[in-house]
Amino acid sequence: MTLAIETRDLTRSFGDAVALDGLTLEVEPGEVLALLGPNGAGKTTTVRLLNGVLKAERGEARVLGLDPATDADEVRRRTGVLTENAGLDERLTARENLLFTARVRGMGRAASSVKADELLERFGMADKANLMVQGFSTGQRKRLALARALLHDPDVLFLDEPTSGLDPAATRDVVDLIASLAQDHGRTVILCTHFLGEAGRLAHRMAVLHLGKLRAFGRPEELAAELWDGIEADLDLGGPAESRMLDAIRAVRGVLEVTATTDGATVRVRDRKVLPVVVAALVGREVPVYAAVPRPPTLEDVYFAVEARTLAEEAERAAR
Amino acid sequence: MNWPAIRAVVGKDLLAVRRSKAVSIPMVAVPFVLLVVVPFGLALYARGHSTVDVERLLDTVPHQLAQPILSLPQREQLLVLVNGYLLAPLCLIVPLMVSAVLAADAFAGEKERKTLESLLHLPLADRDLFVAKLLSAFVPAVAISWIGFLCFAITSNAVGWSVLHRIFIPTGNWLVVILWVAPAVAAFGLAVMVRVSARARTTQEANQLGAAVVLPLIFLAVGQTTVLLVVSIGVAFVLGAVLWAGALLLIWRGSRHFTRDQLATRL
Repeated sequence: MTLAIETRDLTRSFGDAVALDGLTLEVEPGEVLALLGPNGAGKTTTVRLLNGVLKAERGEARVLGLDPATDADEVRRRTGVLTENAGLDERLTARENLLFTARVRGMGRAASSVKADELLERFGMADKANLMVQGFSTGQRKRLALARALLHDPDVLFLDEPTSGLDPAATRDVVDLIASLAQDHGRTVILCTHFLGEAGRLAHRMAVLHLGKLRAFGRPEELAAELWDGIEADLDLGGPAESRMLDAIRAVRGVLEVTATTDGATVRVRDRKVLPVVVAALVGREVPVYAAVPRPPTLEDVYFAVEARTLAEEAERAAR
Repeated sequence: MNWPAIRAVVGKDLLAVRRSKAVSIPMVAVPFVLLVVVPFGLALYARGHSTVDVERLLDTVPHQLAQPILSLPQREQLLVLVNGYLLAPLCLIVPLMVSAVLAADAFAGEKERKTLESLLHLPLADRDLFVAKLLSAFVPAVAISWIGFLCFAITSNAVGWSVLHRIFIPTGNWLVVILWVAPAVAAFGLAVMVRVSARARTTQEANQLGAAVVLPLIFLAVGQTTVLLVVSIGVAFVLGAVLWAGALLLIWRGSRHFTRDQLATRL
């Protein structure tokens, strides 16, 4: 099966600044990839390169089997992009913005009209259809821009901060929509976001960029296994663990690390099987254990760990 | 060429410009003043002073201009001189101004309004986008110029009718100026603003750069328009062709810098 996205050593600079440095990754069809990183990491440059808006100075890319450097229009015909700035023409109405995009995308007048009305309805903008975008809130603009990105039923969607500026209800709707696009409609989604909880809910895999370099790429649990030994669990002891309790936990074979918390302790064990032994050790010392909950690392944990590792490596390199 | 997409971009730009008071009001008001109010006032004055001896005035202008005026009855001379010849530059300032303002809005305005990136993500080839943006400025500039000239001709002939009892504008040379030279001037203004807009971040910056650096030189050239009315039609046509060649050369050079990569680099 053709990969949705494939890049090899993709590189682009602006003057002396390297915006993207040797990006190599693959994205499966129907996958949601969270493209993460601080500002200036190279996320927007990646999206622009994959859509043939920028030209790579080294390396190559394929989107749906097409080369954005030579088949850029065909790529853009099959992708939809929500830019960080909604990029709507404020002097046009909501409906006119959608109709304009539909016409440029080659949709017929009648089909454009039907699709625009359908999307305005779906995004709760039907009552604003004939109002100028100028008076819209950030959330309304974002919803309209998202509708515009979906006008032509793209196979690959690039979403840059799709929920910034949205209220909680609208955020939930958009997150559900993205999940549905991938799960039910087989769309591939590249999600650039700073909202890590949202990325964790949606993404199958994550790619962390830092100063243009890919620092981590994979499923959060795979990356967690590379970053940390074992798994972490929260022990609810009804209050902070006393030193005798911590000693009892440390004495169990397979415990790697233990720290006191306000409710008890957080323990890192080699694998899940060690956890009942820890509980038994505490109960044997008449320590009440109210709960022992394994806590697999979240995408957020992995992201910050990768960031911390990257910064440490940079500091080390600078010191040399 | 993807003409449906080009038409969509042009249509969108024209609709947006019509709704922007900051752009549309000067687009209508300035041509109205230059091509209706000023000719009306001067024609009224000339009609009221039809016995004025213009020979001394004609001593200061080229022989080719003076000759046809002096061959007219004295009561017609001032009116024909002013409205039939001396106001000709106004008819070329209009296409120049309109195309320059609209080009700044079409090119630099997209950057300013932060709509350029979403436009670049559409399946529209660089060349098609460039052509669409050129047409967005060129078509209204020529349309406004032609409508403006029609108003100018109607105003001048109506006011002068009681003295001349005939239609004196347009002459054959006037038609060359309006139908051939005016579009070339619009293309020239457009070409200048395409280059300027590539460097400017806002419409205002583009207008300032254009107005301060290049357009005054073109205004000076446009000031010589009267010459086109006294040379033979063939020569006027050739002069227009030279202007077209210069404008097209500038536009072609501008198009080489109009690539998605260069536009996106400056976002």
